[in-house]
Amino acid sequence: MSDMIDQVLASTLILTTPILLAAIGGLVNRQGGIVNIALEAKMLAGAFVSVVVSSATGSWFLAVVAAALFASLVGLVFSLTITRARANMIISGLGFNVLVAGLLGFLLSRIYGTSGTLRFPDVQLLPRILPESVSTIPIFGEALAALDPLTAFAWLSVGALPFLLANTRIGLRLRAAGNAAQVVRAVGLREKTIQDFGTVFAGFFSGLAGAHLALYSIGLFNEGLTAGRGFIALAAFYFARNQPVQTAMACLLFGLLDATQIRLQTAGYPPKLMGTLPYVMVIVSLCIASWSQKKKAHT
Amino acid sequence: MVDGGSENVVAIDARPPRWTLAAENAMRFSLPVLLAFLAGAVLLLAIGENPVAIYQLMLSEGFGSERRIAATLSASTPLLFTAVATAVCFRSGVFNVGVDGAFVLGGLGAAVIGYALPVALGWTIAPLAIGSAMLIAAFWLWVPGVLLAKLEVDEVVSTLMLNFVALGISGFLVNSVFLSETSGNNTTETIHEVAELSRLLPPSTLHSGFLLGLLCVLGYAFWTQRTPQGFEAALVGFNNRFARSVGISVPGTIILVMIISGLVSGAGGAAHALGQVHKFSDGFSAGYGFTGMAIALLARNSAIGILLGAILFGALASAGTTVQLFSDIPLDIVNVIEGTVMIFAVVELGRLTLWRGTGQ
Repeated sequence: MSDMIDQVLASTLILTTPILLAAIGGLVNRQGGIVNIALEAKMLAGAFVSVVVSSATGSWFLAVVAAALFASLVGLVFSLTITRARANMIISGLGFNVLVAGLLGFLLSRIYGTSGTLRFPDVQLLPRILPESVSTIPIFGEALAALDPLTAFAWLSVGALPFLLANTRIGLRLRAAGNAAQVVRAVGLREKTIQDFGTVFAGFFSGLAGAHLALYSIGLFNEGLTAGRGFIALAAFYFARNQPVQTAMACLLFGLLDATQIRLQTAGYPPKLMGTLPYVMVIVSLCIASWSQKKKAHT
Repeated sequence: MVDGGSENVVAIDARPPRWTLAAENAMRFSLPVLLAFLAGAVLLLAIGENPVAIYQLMLSEGFGSERRIAATLSASTPLLFTAVATAVCFRSGVFNVGVDGAFVLGGLGAAVIGYALPVALGWTIAPLAIGSAMLIAAFWLWVPGVLLAKLEVDEVVSTLMLNFVALGISGFLVNSVFLSETSGNNTTETIHEVAELSRLLPPSTLHSGFLLGLLCVLGYAFWTQRTPQGFEAALVGFNNRFARSVGISVPGTIILVMIISGLVSGAGGAAHALGQVHKFSDGFSAGYGFTGMAIALLARNSAIGILLGAILFGALASAGTTVQLFSDIPLDIVNVIEGTVMIFAVVELGRLTLWRGTGQ
């Protein structure tokens, strides 16, 4: 029994990481006034680049950096369509999702001659930070032993983010760009450039998310690798109203759902139906939020 | 809600001569398409193919013979529905991105009725199935409509999320309650032969659902151009506050367009189930809702634009499949072009202000 709890904790921690990384990017982006529907595309691009680079260089670190940088670049192009060419952010985001998936599929079948899954030799996976022996610690042992650098980085970011957003120059400017663009303009700053920064940031973190998906344990790229996690991340920060810590809690909950899916399935809960829970939760929470707001406005 | 923007209002006040409007619309339709094909050409060049030859092949595969044209129209059938369903909402400034989910649930409903009702009911099964599909899908989109109209719940998020919910529900149902006993996983029984929509040009799969789709486009054209209600719905999109001050019910309009959108999506799902695939299985919609969105955007919600756009994307889909067979060009090129079209359709090309924020 206690063994089972250990394992569920460990897999919850690891399954949360990609959602959390993408959600961190998305919430920062949204605080800057841009709803990023293209997280999914950037995760997919990051996953692809990380596998290619890890295989070519044999270094997980270079792979992760390359994935983040490449996804940032995709984020920059996406951002420019919105801030400079005034594209509708929702449509442009959906367009990027279709485009990136199409490009990767194209590359996969044309250059690598496979449809769907790309295997490379000598892919270096993410290392584990702590020595194997920690797994003997009761309850949290397995989770500690499973800890990888990106998971640690994600949680450190969650810890740092409230401070960064509230107390640093760039954090303030970003939130100002999202909430009061005229003010930003009035003090002589370029709100569009600040927003571009937010989208590049989201790209960076989505790239990390993709790299984690590909390099934590499987070491290959698959067209369906992200499986809607970019949208789960979107659900998480919508649900938590862009607050970093609450977003992380939502991500943990979704990670737990993911981790217990197989157990729930054997207990008779249908996985496909359980999988819709994050989305239903968002809708319900949005309803409750605006309902209570309306009630306040009336009294 | 998305404000229509000032441009549209000007178009009402001081309407330029008709032909310039037509020319402008034609340009707004063709420019994103041209740019997307250009992007596709760059990609083809990059892998050492001749884009002109490939596009020529696609053209002849899309429209080269009666059979190929039939295949193109067959592929464009679901898109006619999803594009109309999207346009009817976009036109009123309601950003409904949930057509795909409504299409899927409608398809499931139609397929289940198509095999579960007794064969003895004969030809009445098909209209019953289509009608139920329309009701299911209309109810599905009525929900986010009410949430937007009454509680101001952002419809982009709610409809986007409902797509995943629809996929989850239908995926669950075809694996449990409606799972076929004979044909394995993720699929319902095949519908009764009497419930199938008739094939128009056998052996092609073009079926009478295409005519139903045309009827939807025509009905949409009539509703938008000739009815007071359609005009009011457009006003809500043009200028929300003006519409309110002349006494148009904005919440009522939002709910109305969402219900219409659902009815059309459901009819589309039913036509696809009864005419094309004859059952419901996982992966029922190949992103038809999203392609429909690209078409509605390209068409700027005009009926004629929707018709042209649906045929264009239908041709791309059917030609893409055969081009993949004959040459070494992956079908994914279609997605590349579609994604690029979506992006270029919303980018304001005339106003690229790369270096400085211009302000409002």
